[in-house]
Amino acid sequence: MRRFSVPILLLLVTLGALAAPGRAADKVRVVATTTDLKALTEAVGGDLVEVDALARGNQNPHDLEVRPSLMVKVRRADLIVMNGLELDQWAEVVIQGANNPKLVPGAPGRVDASEGILVLEVPTTRVDRSMGDIHPVGNPHYTTDPGMAPAITANILNGLVRVAPQGRPAFEKNRQAFLAKLEQAEAGWVAAMAPLKGTKVIVDHNMWVYFLTRFGLVQAASIEERPGIPATPTHVAKVIQLIKDERIRAIMTLPWGDAKLAARIAEEGGAKVVPMAPGVGGAKGTSGYIDTVDYNVKMLAQALK
Amino acid sequence: MRALAYIALLCLALATPLAPLTAAGQDKDEEIAALRRELENMRKTMSTLAERLQALEAQPAPAPAGQAASGQAPSGQPYVGDVAQAPPGSAPPSMMDLARPREPFALYRQRGAGQLLFDMGVTGDFIANLTQRNVDKANAGTFADRENRFFPREIELSFFGQIDPYARAEVRVEAGEENQGEINLKLAEANLTLMTLPFGTQLKLGQMRNRFGLLNEIHEHDRPQIDTPNVLVRFLGEEGLVERGAEAVWVPQLPFYIQLIAGVFDGDNETLFGRGKISEPLVTGRVRTFFDFDEFGAVQLGASVASGPNADRQQTTVLGVDAKYKYKPENWLHPLITVGGEWLYLWKPFTTEGVDDNGDGIIDHPAENRTRHKQGWYAWVDVQPWRRWLFGVRYDWTEFPDARGREWAIGPYVTFMPSEFLRFRLGYKHTERDKRDLFGDNGGSARIVDEILLQATFILGAHPAHPF
Repeated sequence: MRRFSVPILLLLVTLGALAAPGRAADKVRVVATTTDLKALTEAVGGDLVEVDALARGNQNPHDLEVRPSLMVKVRRADLIVMNGLELDQWAEVVIQGANNPKLVPGAPGRVDASEGILVLEVPTTRVDRSMGDIHPVGNPHYTTDPGMAPAITANILNGLVRVAPQGRPAFEKNRQAFLAKLEQAEAGWVAAMAPLKGTKVIVDHNMWVYFLTRFGLVQAASIEERPGIPATPTHVAKVIQLIKDERIRAIMTLPWGDAKLAARIAEEGGAKVVPMAPGVGGAKGTSGYIDTVDYNVKMLAQALK
Repeated sequence: MRALAYIALLCLALATPLAPLTAAGQDKDEEIAALRRELENMRKTMSTLAERLQALEAQPAPAPAGQAASGQAPSGQPYVGDVAQAPPGSAPPSMMDLARPREPFALYRQRGAGQLLFDMGVTGDFIANLTQRNVDKANAGTFADRENRFFPREIELSFFGQIDPYARAEVRVEAGEENQGEINLKLAEANLTLMTLPFGTQLKLGQMRNRFGLLNEIHEHDRPQIDTPNVLVRFLGEEGLVERGAEAVWVPQLPFYIQLIAGVFDGDNETLFGRGKISEPLVTGRVRTFFDFDEFGAVQLGASVASGPNADRQQTTVLGVDAKYKYKPENWLHPLITVGGEWLYLWKPFTTEGVDDNGDGIIDHPAENRTRHKQGWYAWVDVQPWRRWLFGVRYDWTEFPDARGREWAIGPYVTFMPSEFLRFRLGYKHTERDKRDLFGDNGGSARIVDEILLQATFILGAHPAHPF
């Protein structure tokens, strides 16, 4: 073993030297688990932050493969913004593998963006896995609703201030500017969706309840009979019948959903498939948070005309 | 004109005393309007507070102390919440913080005695195997002394979670059939990890599955095939390396991922080491790195070493290199192709027996210390065209560490997963050895072994994800 000791020592010294320089700029390094949270963090942080997302916009954030390349991003971060509500539990494994003491549970470099959110679909009865991959603390897809942005950005602001208190005035200013812009855009979305209030839609995964509630639409059924479990033929037949009976016109789909099945149901029932952007970057032209909501509103409004 | 002048004077005379009354009326109107506005604001605030209260009541646990809870705008209403001040004193723990006594009692008071602050889960792993009679007699199958049986291999009860802001712990107790009809209960793992040490290091202390190679750290029910690869069983024993001691992990802050692990252990593994003294320790090391080829393909490379004295205090060393590649097409929820493999090289010293050539009672060739050089490897490929179905095959080749001879095996298998918590596997394994008498229990022998293997695995409760 002694013959190996010199190369091992050299390797350790080299790595130590490479690791030492640390950060290039004074920006706060932030990692967000989803692209929505990345966009909202950028909106608050502005030029003072450098934000990376762990999941892509068209990726299923429930079930991300924990790659060591994600740990590289987390290893260097000062702050991690997490969706919470058990959507991104895989991030804990990434944090553990990254050996970054600033982000371990209880550390100030963690932001749970769901704090203070009015959570929908919180089970009120006993739940177990016979119900599928159910979220026992409620539906975690609150970032689809632009009305949640004030609360989310408030949580992000608090986190940023914890790690970079000197940036508070700039963060607050950025946040107010973003919320003003969002409010302006929201007026247009509300107007576009107003004639569709009460309209029923089908979803492939139970992800749009916050978005639909915001604009007064109703989710009639989900192609997934139970979350995370593929639909049975009986359930598919029921959904098709429901579309016919209720004259439902739109099936909102996700990039990772079963596109063939959605297309078949739409064809047999006489509805349209509406490919939605589940997050920022989840479809063409959705590079920012406002763009993404705008895309989803337009896609749905157009399909339901 | 005079009459008009009188009327004007009269109006002025009447208006002069009434003027204060009119002003008072206007003030009252303004006051009423202000009160109405205030009432409206209070109504909105009440409404928002009611919704927030409802939300808080719906949540199973209260928000952590010191964290800001910001209101959310209900549909059609303006957002009224504001940003809370950052909690004081939330700086990273210093060395002095680490040295101070911990006070977790606040957590206990906050959550109450009836609530668990950690996760727990149960895993069940059942195996069935069918093989030839001579293999059964010689205990020469993949699951020695359990041939032609259906048995619980690993029923595991696990507890894991944060101890405090600085450390986490895991405890796993498992029961399983190791010999025909005998269920053994044992401590599989019990360790704590200090997570906030300086320079991005972590320290794991206790009993653990060592991070050696690709599969050793993974529990049997989570491995990619029904059985453990032959080279790992022959070199490290059926249990693999499960040791007591300490393991330090360093992930340097680099543009690419590299993980360096060094450990010091008792060396209880009887197959390879067996000295069992921390004063003469088993020393382990591992380097792991990872590259993303593109968004959808990635490879992990690793090298491991374990070196320690055996029961006779002879230094034994095993070196391993491993690789794993996964390809996951865009928008797929699972990989389409997974390829992995591991190669082990063993330096195993032993002492020869003295030889008396002519039977005169004098040792002509005295006992001497020699070293066996042995190696083995395995490789597998998995193809998962559908979420619920996976098809794979593994090839094994290994020498025997304590005897001359080698064996190879090939085993195709198919996996069906109704959900991520339930899995069934059916496999076939064909093994050929170059000697008949390597396994000879009960006077039997087996050079060629054919086996049909079945595995059923379930998970109840929490189960942490495995990286890559």
